[in-house]
Amino acid sequence: MAWFLVRRTAQMFFVILCVVTLVFILLRAASGDPARLMNAADASDEVIEATRARLGLDEPVYVQYLYYLRNLLRGDMGQSFYGAYDVRDVVLAALPNTVALAVVTMLVSTVIALVLGIASALKRGSALDRAVQVYVAAAQATPNFWLAVLLVLVFAVQLGWLPAVDFTGPASFVLPVTTMAVALTPILIRTVRQSFIETLGEDYVRAARARGIPRRKVLLVHVLKVASLPLITLLGLQSAMVLAGSYVIEVIFNWPGIGKLAVDSLVSRNFPMVEGAVLVAAVAFVVINFVVDMTYSVLDPRIRLGAGT
Amino acid sequence: MSGGIVSDRTAASEAAGGDGVGLLQQLRQRKAGLVGLSGIAVLLIVAVAAPWLAPHDPASQDLGNVLLPPVWAGGELTYPFGTDAIGRDVLSRLIYGARSSVLISVCAMLLGGTLGVLTGLASGFYGRLVDTVLMRLGDIQLALPFILIAIVILGMMRDRSPIHLILVLGIPAWIVYARVVRSRVLSEREQAYVSAARSLGASNLRQMFRYVLPPASKVVPPIALIDLSHLVIMESTLSFLGFGLTSPSISWGQILADGRQNMIASPWLPVLPGLAIMLTVLTINLAVEGLRDDGTPRRRRRRSDRKAADADRAAAPARLPGREVSIDGGAGGDRDGDGDPRASADDVQGRDGDGDGDLGVRRNGGGGGQAQPLLAVEDLEVEFDTPTGVVEAVRGVSFTVERGRILGIVGESGSGKSVTSFAIMGLLGEQGHVTGGSITFDGTDLTRAPEAVMRGIRGPRIGMMFQNPVGSLNPVLTVGYQIVETLRVNRGMDRATARQVAEEAFGTVGFPDPRHVMRQYPFRLSGGQNQRVMIAMTMALGPDLLLADEPTTALDVTTQAEVIDQLLQVREEHGTGIVLISHDIGLIGEVADEVVVMYAGQVCERGPTETVLNDPGHPYTRALLGAVPQPGAPEAQLAAIPGELPSAQQPLVGCPFADRCDHVMEVCSRRDPALLPLAEDHDVACYLHHEPAAPEQVATR
Repeated sequence: MAWFLVRRTAQMFFVILCVVTLVFILLRAASGDPARLMNAADASDEVIEATRARLGLDEPVYVQYLYYLRNLLRGDMGQSFYGAYDVRDVVLAALPNTVALAVVTMLVSTVIALVLGIASALKRGSALDRAVQVYVAAAQATPNFWLAVLLVLVFAVQLGWLPAVDFTGPASFVLPVTTMAVALTPILIRTVRQSFIETLGEDYVRAARARGIPRRKVLLVHVLKVASLPLITLLGLQSAMVLAGSYVIEVIFNWPGIGKLAVDSLVSRNFPMVEGAVLVAAVAFVVINFVVDMTYSVLDPRIRLGAGT
Repeated sequence: MSGGIVSDRTAASEAAGGDGVGLLQQLRQRKAGLVGLSGIAVLLIVAVAAPWLAPHDPASQDLGNVLLPPVWAGGELTYPFGTDAIGRDVLSRLIYGARSSVLISVCAMLLGGTLGVLTGLASGFYGRLVDTVLMRLGDIQLALPFILIAIVILGMMRDRSPIHLILVLGIPAWIVYARVVRSRVLSEREQAYVSAARSLGASNLRQMFRYVLPPASKVVPPIALIDLSHLVIMESTLSFLGFGLTSPSISWGQILADGRQNMIASPWLPVLPGLAIMLTVLTINLAVEGLRDDGTPRRRRRRSDRKAADADRAAAPARLPGREVSIDGGAGGDRDGDGDPRASADDVQGRDGDGDGDLGVRRNGGGGGQAQPLLAVEDLEVEFDTPTGVVEAVRGVSFTVERGRILGIVGESGSGKSVTSFAIMGLLGEQGHVTGGSITFDGTDLTRAPEAVMRGIRGPRIGMMFQNPVGSLNPVLTVGYQIVETLRVNRGMDRATARQVAEEAFGTVGFPDPRHVMRQYPFRLSGGQNQRVMIAMTMALGPDLLLADEPTTALDVTTQAEVIDQLLQVREEHGTGIVLISHDIGLIGEVADEVVVMYAGQVCERGPTETVLNDPGHPYTRALLGAVPQPGAPEAQLAAIPGELPSAQQPLVGCPFADRCDHVMEVCSRRDPALLPLAEDHDVACYLHHEPAAPEQVATR
């Protein structure tokens, strides 16, 4: 187990290093010379040279890369082009809002998926099962941003029940979380339903019942523990979608998270900020996947103990 | 979003695999696929022919007709979908929007698909370094938040042409295709014909395109369509956020974003383009359904398997599509109405000692004055509902088991042996029903007992062991947890006592270090060890009756002997009645006191083991005995019984064994022989031994 942990942690750091490198290359390639961008368009060459020297941009690219890595290790992500902000402070202030949105969405979606998935697995072919199938098909085809617009139109504008934009309190969660849950739940429900049906057909489920274990206990311990494994993997994989989805949702609902920060900075061409936001988003994603992997292995002894894959 | 595609796909294919699909649903799915594909064709036509289809120039402004409602909301026919804030025709804009949205997505799909198939082929075919590098690259790419990077790249550009969007959307999709194609290639390339081509000296490239590509590319179309629906949404999202095509090009996401500015005054403005996107995605998803249905080999094989093995399935409901834990146990056998004077559930609350002279008098199989047997199965009939019809798995089976005796049930797979034992346990699942007969256990008719009573019986009173010991233990719980749980639930022990009892039980089945075994997961133990765990677990509850369903089939010979010894010991020590189910008549001959031979859900012969084995009356029993390998005889002499079991889905006419019988007579195909005495306690259902009986006698079988 300890060795497994070490190996996975090493893997995670390698992927993070790759991510950092990629972001560095991407932004250097895409944004061009930061020194020119930082100064007014008609700035003289001397000013630009000075900026360049100040930022270390007159060094060769690999030296710049090493500087960049060193700065990152120190927690220095540079300065915003506008105003005297540390990128780190702004990004770290935005991160909790994104995480809160994503976590609430995942929790709500997981509960919905477990309830609907298990119910439709146990009552296959029933009206409930069919209704769930219709929901899954429809929700899957709904463009997320459109649903967000519609929800705002109906609940905020026409009915006035819920706040449309900005973060003002718990009620602000309702519309963005609903929007994102509609995107996330279909695949979760399908997976829960499917793995539940498969697990119910296993010999050990019948064997547990034959030993006198009550049905409820068999479902909640024996079946759920096995059937939840695919769900957990999936949640990990989907955390990407939730994060990616949240960037769009944040823009629509004016949610002060990483996604909105990235898009706003992009529009105002505030590149250090974009860089910081993308980096944090990517690292958060890698870390989430790591955590999911670990959870998975704790739940499944076949992986933890390295039995056949 | 790439992550989204991958996981979506896996779950989708999982979802496709498991459900039992009848012919009707198959047809419906094919129709859905057809509708989907023609929908895609229509979309493509609209996209290409936009200039001819659109009634107006999408950019021309009619400032006198700003924000007109659509025709169904009181608008004019000139602008059927109304106009936007600067008087542009919404319908024309939607048609032109299809152009960029659909065409860009299709091109991106083609780009990603081509890249992915090529890299997948290379990765699978060359292996080693190429493979490692490509797949790691893919892993890292999947670890990046795609949409954010797409936004960054596109946001950097001042002008975005369709080519830019196609590149940004298309390139990252490669990994999804590459992974699937790669795994397909890996399995295909070892096929004989490829090796043959290789030894003939075909060049690598030639091998790749000639032999490996065609089968590998079979898996691509469904993935491509799923990818397409994601791309449509991605493209709209990007243009909605303002990172799509720069004007004057139009796309749905952009129209939606424009419409949002005026959504209070004209709610249809954001609604219509959204509907267009949604319908497009739905159409693509329908096509995916259709493709999945006739394109996935796994699915097709399942179906033919099913047809070929109807009878097999009847006997092993574990393989039935959607077998489930039944809610109400063995309920359901109320065909007799309520007038039956036999055991009603009420007089059997709880156990009453050893069950002698207990509540009321009950009739049982054999006859009046004898002591009541532990278990009496009488005229049991079991049916299964399957997508292809009702399967009669058990058609009138009767036998009795006494305390301390071993009854062997023998027959080939599909004869209904296991179903009979599941019926006794009340664990037939949702699809299985007892449709006739009774199962009287210690005075209680189990076919009528409510679930609460069954729960008191399963485990503490009737134990069950399964064919596959590893599969009958939960893989993610330690065996210790499982035995402790069993003891606590059934005997109400606290955790510490249960642990102690469990360790003792493990000790008695021969584990030298019970504590160590308790901590193990089933996959860490061998088959024989698992079966011993099962014995310990089952016997720790001290049941009166043990159903052992092929307990040694999955084990090697030495272990088989050990497990059988354990069973005999259990019988010696506790006086447990045992039903030993096996297809191995040799094993039954060694240990059973009485034997029941089953064929096609019926009893064809029964009697004391010695009599039946030494003097078999039924041709099927003789055939089974002929199929037992004799020591020293070469493998080839093992006589397999020619022919197949009759279909369990058709009503039987005549003797079920007639088609395979060497002694078949004219009467055999007309009438089903009754089970009649041949000697004392020895019954045979065969016209070789008695004349065809009168019709009413026939019915008593």
